[in-house]
Amino acid sequence: MTGSDDNGEAQLRKFQKELSAGTVSLALLAVLDRSPAPMYGYQIAKTLERVGEGVLSGKQSALYPVLRNLEAGGLLDSFVEPSDAGPPRRYYRITAPGRDALRDWAAAWRATRDSVDSVLEGASE
Amino acid sequence: MSHERLPTTIPEYLEHLRRSLAGADPALVQDALYDAEEYLRSELAENPGRSEAEVIAAVASSYGAPEEVADIYRDTEVKVQTALRAPSPPPRRSLAGRFFGVFADPRAYASLFYMVLALATGIFYFTWVVAGFSTSLGLSITIIGIPLLILFFGSVRVLSLVEGRIVEVMLGERMPRRPLYTTRGRSLWQRIGDMFTDPRTWSTMLYFLLMLPLGILYFTIVVTLTTCALTFTAVPPLVWLGFANASVQLDGWQILNVDHDVVATSMPAWGLPAMFVCGILLLFATMHVARGIGRLHGQLAKHLLVRTAQYA
Repeated sequence: MTGSDDNGEAQLRKFQKELSAGTVSLALLAVLDRSPAPMYGYQIAKTLERVGEGVLSGKQSALYPVLRNLEAGGLLDSFVEPSDAGPPRRYYRITAPGRDALRDWAAAWRATRDSVDSVLEGASE
Repeated sequence: MSHERLPTTIPEYLEHLRRSLAGADPALVQDALYDAEEYLRSELAENPGRSEAEVIAAVASSYGAPEEVADIYRDTEVKVQTALRAPSPPPRRSLAGRFFGVFADPRAYASLFYMVLALATGIFYFTWVVAGFSTSLGLSITIIGIPLLILFFGSVRVLSLVEGRIVEVMLGERMPRRPLYTTRGRSLWQRIGDMFTDPRTWSTMLYFLLMLPLGILYFTIVVTLTTCALTFTAVPPLVWLGFANASVQLDGWQILNVDHDVVATSMPAWGLPAMFVCGILLLFATMHVARGIGRLHGQLAKHLLVRTAQYA
């Protein structure tokens, strides 16, 4: 490993971190919106793991604080239920304000993705 | 990533995580431990064929090794909170700005409300702890007392979380949002013993007992200060608008006297402007007092309700 490679690696990690800040919240809202039943942290993490590429494939411990903050912001609500296999689990489900936020955020995401893609295509030509 | 040996059991993993989070906000530590335990135990339950050590080794790449998890929590907490919460107002520079700016600070109003509410919650907590503890302790010479005592200790933990939520919402002090897991793999009797030896149980009860005198004190301070400030501010305009008479002496010196439809003050007319200014200043001072007490009380709640072992 040369010094410049290390530097590039660190910059890539910084970029991924910045990119994940909002996209993870959006992905969590989307997963809970699609799910017919409330889900607990581990289930949500595993669902994202199955489809996760790029920044969504990061460490799953990062999801829990985001879930808690989405709940504090009123976009999710939660309840605790005892489980037969281990500790009581906290189940999350999306709220009406959460659905509104998801619609707005998804529109913002698509617009951003499209314009970033067209800029990138322009750059590679 | 880790130079330490990878943990092989869930308690070891959690201990490792706790050590990696040393110095972080104790409420954050409690949440992080809760989340990690939920994940680890779910993973273990999903893979019944694998040993605890194998599961933890696999988890290090999906959930993260303890050090990584610690970094993520330190990081995400700061980032997401600043992104999702309403921005705090920019600090005011000038002395006057800082003094009068308190009226635009939602924290001051919330503290004021908390101080009024503290009378009600204080009476409730005090009664609950005194009645619950003495009843169950008194009955524990019979067989019914022991389960009652255990139930009572459980209820104190739930109340502690409830008070934590109130304190966080109103006073802005970060408190745990999840209960602590009791150590697994201990027998029922050991766990009951833990309840008695856990210093947090006793400090929580002390906090609830303290809430009665503190609640009375807070309530009195708020009521006294706000009535004084509001009267001082309201009387001069009443006189100037012709609704009240100045320099009236009825049964001694009175700031404001309402008798049937006669409103009067003993303050002579020349003193009214000074009284008005005092009233306004007192109004702002009250908000400062409320915000200050709110901050102090938040610290008290954190030290007594959140386990101090998590600081280590």
